[in-house]
Amino acid sequence: MVSDEHDPKHCVAMFEKLSEYIDGELDELTRRQLETHIDGCVSCKYCLATLKKTIKLCKQLADDPVPEAFHLKLKEMLLQNMSDSGPRAQKR
Amino acid sequence: MTSNRKRKKIEDSDTELVEAINAGRHDLFQELVKRYENKLYNFGSRMCGDTRDAEDMVQETFLNVFKYLKDFRYETKFKNWLYRIATSICIKKRRKSKFAPERELSLEEFLPKEDASTLGEMPYWAQLPLEKLLNEELSKMLQEAITSLPKKYRVVVILRDVERFSTAETAQILNIGESNVKVRLHRARLYLRDRLKGYFEHGV
Repeated sequence: MVSDEHDPKHCVAMFEKLSEYIDGELDELTRRQLETHIDGCVSCKYCLATLKKTIKLCKQLADDPVPEAFHLKLKEMLLQNMSDSGPRAQKR
Repeated sequence: MTSNRKRKKIEDSDTELVEAINAGRHDLFQELVKRYENKLYNFGSRMCGDTRDAEDMVQETFLNVFKYLKDFRYETKFKNWLYRIATSICIKKRRKSKFAPERELSLEEFLPKEDASTLGEMPYWAQLPLEKLLNEELSKMLQEAITSLPKKYRVVVILRDVERFSTAETAQILNIGESNVKVRLHRARLYLRDRLKGYFEHGV
């Protein structure tokens, strides 16, 4: 996965940090090390770009509407439950 | 940690409503349901991969919330407490059903196989804007890929990247350490990335 100039162990260590980099969760030093690595490692650069796109696609997944029949069933069930008893503290 | 330490009250957009319900306005519980019914239903569908299981989970979650709302101590956002209950129900449910086998995902299986010298251009799907990529077929494929993740990875990627909880909140909901959340999340994302790569490059 790496060109000759790369230390494979370092490459794997950086590959392991890609998500934290995307999430802005790396300390300054590690962030700079990773950016330097990415500049010289095509594999990690492509992985970073496709990983970012994967995350964006997950964030864009649309919600389905709740089926009307289930919505009504849930409402009825909760109303029934509320008429039987109110919220109560858990007995320990 | 001392057991009697008083924690700071966390206020959010649900606090007023929850306090009113706990003060006796049980009729307002339906408003709480209205706020979260849709989100929980979709969370359940993604976690269980089955709409009937999702419906059961939503029902059981709201019953538990109604029953134990008095125990809510405002030490976390209400939404996080709600998802903790929902997640716990989903995990129990999934133990009974037929889903993705539980296995560890290792980092090694996701390391790029190509030699740097043989790599071509940046993959086209990484360069295209989202609106050009997103369609019903892709959403379905991505949803199936999420469902096929082993449970402990699936729950983390759904909470972080679909529901958009922070790392700290996800750790709190799942009662695991933040470093554990980060490790699982990265592997889950790499798994989904591989599935998308296969889809875009080979149509699978």
